[in-house]
Amino acid sequence: MSRILVAEDDPHILRLIAMWLKRNGHDVVEARNGNGARDLVVAETFDVLVTDINMPGLDGIQLIEAVVSTGHIHRGIVVLTNRWDHGEIRERLSQWDVRVIPKPFSPSRLSEVVDKLTAVDTSEAPHEGFVPDQSSLS
Amino acid sequence: MKPTSAVVTDEALLQNLLGDISLPGNGTPLSVGVLATLGNPQPPAHCMRTCLNSRADAIESHGCPFLVAAAEGRVDDGCLKDGHCPRGYQAAARQIALGDKHAVVVTVGAPTHVDTVAHLFERVTQLLEENTGFAEEMIQNYEQLNLIFDLIPQIAELSDTRAIERLLLQKVRHLLRATSLCVHDSRGGWSWLDEYGEAGAPPPGLSAQQLELVASTVRNTSHIQVATQSEYELLAGALVHLDNAVNVVIALRPSRNGAFTAGDMMLTDSVLAFGGQLIRNNELHERLHALSFQITRALVAAIDKKDHYTSGHSERVGFLTRLIAQEFGLSAAELQITEWAGLLHDIGKIGIPETILCKPGKLTKEEFDVIKKHPRMGYDILKPIASFELVLDGVLYHHENPDGSGYPKGLHGDQIPLVARIIHVADTFDALTSTRSYREAFSYERAYEIIRQDMGKRMDREAAEAFFRAFGKFQENEPEKFERLFLQHREQTDDPA
Ligand SMILES: [Fe+2]
Repeated sequence: MSRILVAEDDPHILRLIAMWLKRNGHDVVEARNGNGARDLVVAETFDVLVTDINMPGLDGIQLIEAVVSTGHIHRGIVVLTNRWDHGEIRERLSQWDVRVIPKPFSPSRLSEVVDKLTAVDTSEAPHEGFVPDQSSLS
Repeated sequence: MKPTSAVVTDEALLQNLLGDISLPGNGTPLSVGVLATLGNPQPPAHCMRTCLNSRADAIESHGCPFLVAAAEGRVDDGCLKDGHCPRGYQAAARQIALGDKHAVVVTVGAPTHVDTVAHLFERVTQLLEENTGFAEEMIQNYEQLNLIFDLIPQIAELSDTRAIERLLLQKVRHLLRATSLCVHDSRGGWSWLDEYGEAGAPPPGLSAQQLELVASTVRNTSHIQVATQSEYELLAGALVHLDNAVNVVIALRPSRNGAFTAGDMMLTDSVLAFGGQLIRNNELHERLHALSFQITRALVAAIDKKDHYTSGHSERVGFLTRLIAQEFGLSAAELQITEWAGLLHDIGKIGIPETILCKPGKLTKEEFDVIKKHPRMGYDILKPIASFELVLDGVLYHHENPDGSGYPKGLHGDQIPLVARIIHVADTFDALTSTRSYREAFSYERAYEIIRQDMGKRMDREAAEAFFRAFGKFQENEPEKFERLFLQHREQTDDPA
């Protein structure tokens, strides 16, 4: 069972994502906003962070910036973003190895991506390409 | 303070709610242990009541091993084996043994508040269940929406109905996590798809009769159907083509992977309805296209008939033009329009008197000047047709020569549009190898030689070389078509009995 942190300010969507990921066998921790998610990541470790982009306070991109340096997300980051600014967001996220899923998200696609990230494969753990900023790990 | 009751729930909301309750207390304090669990989506409301209503001392007198263990901070399998334990504890202990470690203890002020808490619990549970139902529906809707978002751009790339249907079916198969999928078409034939593409036969254990039964039910009811047969789950729906031709689509997966849900049915239903609409539009488009092509061929054949020696000439030139054009890496749409250009190249001959067109022997200069008007006449005839620029180029310039000796404009080399250079080669080859009113047909070898010697002069080198490559491949790869299109015609014209 992998530990997933979900950051999403819309409580209904948050519930939906959490329910779906739980149903697919993951342990889910919910955060109502970016600040809450950051505090959780600082205190604990997770396999995957699933985050929205537009959130009050810390937005998705700032959240990623903040958590990547902690090294507390072991397997990867999944970003959910609106379909219409999908391309632009992808661009802004290109410096990190993140998976981007357009909203309204496809549940099957989300679980596919999360499953792939958390698949037990010791030869390439952490997930290939997802490299937390090593300099700030010390 | 000892916990005296346990509630099984995996709901964070419920945990929070019960955790927040602080009822004014007098009398004996009563403690309620709320145990968060995972994997129990529908917490039994009756558990709460049972637990809350059990007398506080009942727990002690039974010596519930769970509570004893919980108080000592350890829970083990032994908790599960005790038959005296009230239901709520047993379920909670089972969940804890399964790996959940959370326990929230709520203090309820007085036994009289037990009913209030139980009622609250029941109501919240009910709301949560409703909420879960909505969420389920939402998940299905999201899935459908995404499927359609994904399908639209992919289908826009395709023009062949079969390819569209295949894409659609692969999507359905993938979404339903079906191991295979079959189609019973309107003529009663079966085709199969599995995760690797086309497959041959039903999976072992399923008979054709069983599948046919499901297919006919869908045909009769035009509703989505689910069935279980020989350890397979079947989900069947109709994909309606033009003229109400129904293809029944049946998705299969082994029963051990779980039955199809109402959500699966809804999803399939809307995808097949949407896909059917796209397919019918495409078929209509294909049909109209074929119709206009047939009409054009008939028209062109009528012109060829004016000179009985050139029977089938335009059709062969159309075919050869496409064949040569394929060597230039054109798109499917460009190839299609290029073929039209080849087919219509001599349409202007409709305006040339038969006395000149069919005159045996050599033409006078005046007569030849009349013949030379046919590219311009063809151009004028076709000009009103929208988006026919490529065809107009082909028709107007198909008698231009790279050395500038052609007509109507005497263009040179690259000034002549590619389509016209191609038609010129195709036209020349077919003319040389057909019997004309003024001479016998040349052999293929002789025709090749004439074209080769004319390369760079009256024949475009690139187009001629492409012709040699393409025609060689065609004769080798499609001998039957070659025989039908080219040899039979030569037998007829070589021996005009
Ligand atoms: Fe001509």
